[in-house]
Amino acid sequence: MSRITRRDFVKTSAGLAAGAALGKGLLIGEAHAADLSYKPEKGAKLRVLRWKRFVQGDEEQWLANTRKFTEKTGIEVRVDSEGWEDVRPKAAVAANVGSGPDVIIGWFDDPHQYPDKLHDLSELANYLGKKYGGWYDVCRTFGTRDGKWIALPLGVIGNLFCYRQSHARAAGFETFPADLSGFLKLCQGLKAKGTPAGLALGHAVGDGNDWVHWLVWSHGGKLVDEKGNVAINSPETIAALEYSRELYATFIPGTLSWQDPHNNKAFLDGQVSLTNNGISIYYACKNSQDPKLREMAADVGHGAWPVGPVGRRTEFMQVTQAMLFKYSKYPNAAKEYLRFMWEREQFDPWMQASIGYVTGPLKDQEKSTIWTADPKHTPYRDVAKGLLDNGYAYKLGAASAAAMADCILIDMVAAAASGSKTPKEAAAEAEKRAQRYYKI
Amino acid sequence: MRSAAADASGTDYLESLPRKLVTVYLPLGVFLFVLLFPFYWMAMTTVKPNAELYDYKTYSPFWVVHPTLDHVKKLLFDTSYPSWLWNTVLVSVSSTAISLVASALAAYAIERLRFRGSRYVGMGIFLAYLVPPSILFIPLATMVFRLGLFDTRLALILTYPTFLVPFCTWLLMGYFRTIPYELEECALIDGATRWQILTRIVLPLAVPGLISAGIFAFTLSWNEFIYALTFVSSSEVKTVPVGVITELVEGDVYHWGSLMAGALLGSLPVAVLYSFFVEYYVSGLTGAVKE
Repeated sequence: MSRITRRDFVKTSAGLAAGAALGKGLLIGEAHAADLSYKPEKGAKLRVLRWKRFVQGDEEQWLANTRKFTEKTGIEVRVDSEGWEDVRPKAAVAANVGSGPDVIIGWFDDPHQYPDKLHDLSELANYLGKKYGGWYDVCRTFGTRDGKWIALPLGVIGNLFCYRQSHARAAGFETFPADLSGFLKLCQGLKAKGTPAGLALGHAVGDGNDWVHWLVWSHGGKLVDEKGNVAINSPETIAALEYSRELYATFIPGTLSWQDPHNNKAFLDGQVSLTNNGISIYYACKNSQDPKLREMAADVGHGAWPVGPVGRRTEFMQVTQAMLFKYSKYPNAAKEYLRFMWEREQFDPWMQASIGYVTGPLKDQEKSTIWTADPKHTPYRDVAKGLLDNGYAYKLGAASAAAMADCILIDMVAAAASGSKTPKEAAAEAEKRAQRYYKI
Repeated sequence: MRSAAADASGTDYLESLPRKLVTVYLPLGVFLFVLLFPFYWMAMTTVKPNAELYDYKTYSPFWVVHPTLDHVKKLLFDTSYPSWLWNTVLVSVSSTAISLVASALAAYAIERLRFRGSRYVGMGIFLAYLVPPSILFIPLATMVFRLGLFDTRLALILTYPTFLVPFCTWLLMGYFRTIPYELEECALIDGATRWQILTRIVLPLAVPGLISAGIFAFTLSWNEFIYALTFVSSSEVKTVPVGVITELVEGDVYHWGSLMAGALLGSLPVAVLYSFFVEYYVSGLTGAVKE
């Protein structure tokens, strides 16, 4: 027996005029797509679990938008937050026991671990995609399974190279290098000037995974091939690991134990001049009471990930998405809530309040003024364009999640870079570990 | 007279100062340093302004130049810390009390009633303790949801005994074993019932054991993380270990000062408890009646 009431959505086509407007490419928000709305169940109440704010404004605006929804529809919505990594076990428990918050905003491949527990959001996702210029490829990959939308991507937590422009100039680089050899030379130059780089090689779920995936993929290496066979022990991976050794030699000591917050602290402390991070470092400087840090804000630059021998962007960042669980008693109310929150009128102020920390999943969201309000924001606008998913080159699922949770790639790069294993040994060990998840 | 003085000094002549320094004071100093340094670090970070926290070049990481209570103020007034602390106390005390009652009865039954299979029951309880909470929390979550306890303090009060009871039972079994049978046999001859023996003879003798089991149980439930993370969601029912992580970590920005203030204030009640009962605690681990 299904408790789901018959979906009652109203499609009010704006008619031929709107169709023509679409053809003319009007700006977002105009009535150029058939509007969609869901009729909430009687007496509906919603519980939403999301990750704890990354920046103050994000949570405030999210709650303000939610209040707006409640005022408009009369549906009470309770929003709870947990630390970003702690949402994942809670979501897994909710999925397994069949009870919990109606909507959970989780991470990475969470929805692919329990797809049968989630509502089909295809209609809503297709509507939003059509209205706002389409979903980025990586968001589509994370949000869909077998052609069906099982989650609604909320955005990408942009992660780029944050560096001190004056230190890069002193090392001979006016602009941030676009290729791997240039990047290595920059790091070597920084080291020679006594202002080294530092990238996390501990089990840093965000910053660590982001850069090691880029490192391996940019050289053409991959954990699994298109058929799901473990393919990490390859000449391309070995080349990436050789490169990591040269790069590691330019790092500040101690990066092997770095977790996500370490690089922020080291950068703000002036111990490193280059690291990979979200926009938080820049904002920590800009909003600081300390005049030295405020001065540093003007010197912080954001550099895109250099392209490797594969000749295209191969980056990895945190993708976050909303899941609507089948156990929810009010699926229509939840869908209406999601629709409301994703509409430009709510989404754009939220993205603005998130000061560039979250890049929207829909292509038209590039037009938001947040990306031009400060030139240092602009590089974060384009992060979603060059992303791959952690299941690459196969599909997302329990194996990809387990392989990342086990930090196989981070450990491999850390072992090879630090010299505790040769690149061949490190790749062979990673292969063995990956085979546990991707059964031979 | 001379011999009496020599007796009084005993083997003191072997204890020269340098020898004592190497065998006692130095190891003790190292031990104290290792144990107390985290507290020192927490206290330092609690009162250190952010400008000093992030600037190791100008300021020593081991000292604070301009102490501030801003972090404590943020913790106490900008977060729900006081209510987390209250929840933690309530949950820890309740689950410890439930566990102690259950464990005392179980341990006595296993040790003294000598029913068939009591050894195996004892072993089974110990094995139950070996099941890691990271596995147990999923089936427990199902039960918590079905009983309608999700997001309540009762969810934690009733699930913590799943790891506390096996532990306390095992500890008390060992303790009861050191109480001579003869005492109970005398009581039986005098016509005491099993219940009277338990309440009037065994438990009064086992107070140090009960205290040490209680302290262990209290500490384990005070610091518990995974059940508290999964079984409660609302800020008003969170415990300290989960609350501080949720409120004071924003993405990759850690509010170290307030986090350390939270850790320091959170560890004080346990430290106070230990200091009050330290003697019982030690004797609890070394047996009941010295023969």
